[in-house]
Amino acid sequence: MTRSSGPHLSPDQFEAWLDGELAPELQRHLDECQACLEQARVDREIADQIALLPLMGPGEGFADRVMAAVAIPDPFAIRSLQATRRRLFATPKSLAFAASLALLLLGSMAGSIAWTLSHQATMASIGTWLLSQGGQVAWLGLRGIASNFIEQPWYDGIRSLLETPARLALISALASLAYLGGVFALRRLLAVPTQQVAHAGF
Amino acid sequence: MPSARPELAALSDQEVVLVARSGQEAAYRELVRRYERPIFALLFRMVRDRELAEDLAQETFVKALNAIDSYRPEFKFSSWIFKISNNAAIDHLRRRELDTLSLDGSPHAETPEAMQATALQIGARQESPLDTVEAKELGTAIEAAIGTLRPEYRSCILLRHVEGRAYEEIAEILNLPLGTVKTYIHRARNELRLSLAHLKE
Repeated sequence: MTRSSGPHLSPDQFEAWLDGELAPELQRHLDECQACLEQARVDREIADQIALLPLMGPGEGFADRVMAAVAIPDPFAIRSLQATRRRLFATPKSLAFAASLALLLLGSMAGSIAWTLSHQATMASIGTWLLSQGGQVAWLGLRGIASNFIEQPWYDGIRSLLETPARLALISALASLAYLGGVFALRRLLAVPTQQVAHAGF
Repeated sequence: MPSARPELAALSDQEVVLVARSGQEAAYRELVRRYERPIFALLFRMVRDRELAEDLAQETFVKALNAIDSYRPEFKFSSWIFKISNNAAIDHLRRRELDTLSLDGSPHAETPEAMQATALQIGARQESPLDTVEAKELGTAIEAAIGTLRPEYRSCILLRHVEGRAYEEIAEILNLPLGTVKTYIHRARNELRLSLAHLKE
């Protein structure tokens, strides 16, 4: 018992012994080595004592408190979405329709790209014409809007608001805030609806 | 405690999660029912404060259930929720940084000298196992002794010997190499043996 063969067991090997998976040659070492045997006995004793610690749970109403803070997706909204998906892909006919639509879209995109690449001169002349015409139209439109704007009775008041750089910065900041507020409100409006959680148990 | 619906109780964790994702509150409650005790017990033994453990357990469940869509069913649900709760406990202990990172020094220290050199010294607020010796209550003494372990050791030994989790799952929960998990468990038992040695006398 007191004579040992080879080095002492490693932590991994003590774990293996606790799990009953120690290799036979290591088991022989354990049978002969007093130090390892004592360590193994203590490991077992402590593991057993920890396993005997009492079970414990949270107080009454724990699940209700958790559920009060959990947002559960509305099953009606999920079902509607799933039903739409199912309808779209349920039958060979609807599947063929969806595939044709996708093919048509992709085909037309590919066709237009191919045509553009093979008629670059035509595209360039059309582009130049559109730019010149578009520029003229845009300029005329802008002038019309501007002259109409200047004629308004409140124009001078607005202009006086923007006379200094500080005021301009302030108005810009307010406009940015209003824009962000609008984006946030839109996100809230478009979010998946959630149902109110009932707290009445199962 | 209310019992689960029979049809949900028969499902695996992954299947219950799928039902929960379809918006059924009963499935959410079933997940809470299955894990409230082990999660609470782990947290209680990590932080040694009932009210705080309950708050952290609630935080764990709320975080997990609100992010149920991000759970990947190829992993065990238990690993996922234990990981969330262990992170909550470790975060709290790091914030508090008093009863925990005290006696033991760096978890990467390989020798007793290195551990001693990296140890922080605190005293008065540490719950000493010696205090509980007088009570002659082995269970209480073990609880107190576990409370003196560094958090990493505490998580490892509780997950292994109280929750009966496999080494591989503990490694996944704690994000540690498998060998490190085994070493931590072994070291934790050695520290517990030293803490509890007086009970033998």
